[in-house]
Amino acid sequence: MKCKRCGKTPASVDLPSHHSAFCPDCFFVFFRRQVEEGIRRFALLAPGDRVLVCVSGGKDSLVLWDVLMELGYRTEGLYIDLGIEGYSARSKEKVLAYAASRGKEPIVVDLRAEGVPIPEAARIGRKEECAVCGTVKRYFFNRVAAQRGFSVVATGHNLDDEAARLLGNLLHWDADHLSRQHPLLPESSDGLVRKVKPLWRVSEVETASYGFLKGIDYVTEECPMSVDATSLVYKEALSLIEDAMPGTRTRFYSGFLQKHGDAKPGAAPMDVPELFARDTGEEDRPAGTCGVCGAPAYTETCSYCRLKEKVRKAMERR
Amino acid sequence: MIRVRIPQKNKEIEVRGPRRVMDILAEAGVRPTTVIVTRGKDLLTKDQRVEDGETIDILSVVSGG
Repeated sequence: MKCKRCGKTPASVDLPSHHSAFCPDCFFVFFRRQVEEGIRRFALLAPGDRVLVCVSGGKDSLVLWDVLMELGYRTEGLYIDLGIEGYSARSKEKVLAYAASRGKEPIVVDLRAEGVPIPEAARIGRKEECAVCGTVKRYFFNRVAAQRGFSVVATGHNLDDEAARLLGNLLHWDADHLSRQHPLLPESSDGLVRKVKPLWRVSEVETASYGFLKGIDYVTEECPMSVDATSLVYKEALSLIEDAMPGTRTRFYSGFLQKHGDAKPGAAPMDVPELFARDTGEEDRPAGTCGVCGAPAYTETCSYCRLKEKVRKAMERR
Repeated sequence: MIRVRIPQKNKEIEVRGPRRVMDILAEAGVRPTTVIVTRGKDLLTKDQRVEDGETIDILSVVSGG
């Protein structure tokens, strides 16, 4: 199969969902354009932004960092050491090696040092590891960005992640989560930094192909805490459909975003059912600040500080 | 025979060649949209033919959590 773009070189990446196939060089062009279009569509980033890229050592976040640097954005990486035996050390090694290869040094937050390693925090908090991990990571994404003057936080969520999340939210008719699911969460005056997902148009096969062809050495093992993650069930279901009907995943998620209405921050959704009405950032935002750490919070003490206190007390009792 | 490695599952199988990548995936019970297939430093398209004596890797691209 020849590359459908240049017509000369043998293709390395076939993308049935785009009715296309590319040689490595043309695939890089295609991939960058997909990311640029994703950024442009919702004005995720501006040229003057200081972007905090959250990197886990996996393919998506390292590819995100790589492509944003190539597109000329001012970026720094943030790595959060989750305190997971073995896995965290191996993923950290990948992040440090990648950063060094690009002349960068990531910001590192060590959750053991912070007193909330994920396995212990989940056990003591009696919650699923992925839920606890999400709470803690979101907290530090925002805190590091706010303290260090970043204008935006970028995460490596891709099309498959977002489509799987959408399927889960729809299956549970979760109006609250549906209203907030978007590649852009605007900043707010109460201290929440803008959060963006620039890879929302590209699939996992595309990010993995980009990473492989670029020689990015990412951690391929799955987080041991995520073995039973429900998102994997939704991804499995969607891949079954995608194999039979290429392009369905893109239409599913893009169609949802269109139903969100105009995605500009603050704009009112137009003529869409209540269920899909977008949280524009002004409502349903934290009402105040945490009395302990000062972060934006829905309650007197934020969920991170409550968790941290619980873990501290449990450790003391040992 | 073609050596087919699936490193994330610590699994390895052998299939008779020559065979297209998509046929090898079907035999291994792997869905094409969940993996990339590599041969050394090359990335293979699903219609590419693999010969006896060659080794390929099937790498899962699905991340959870």
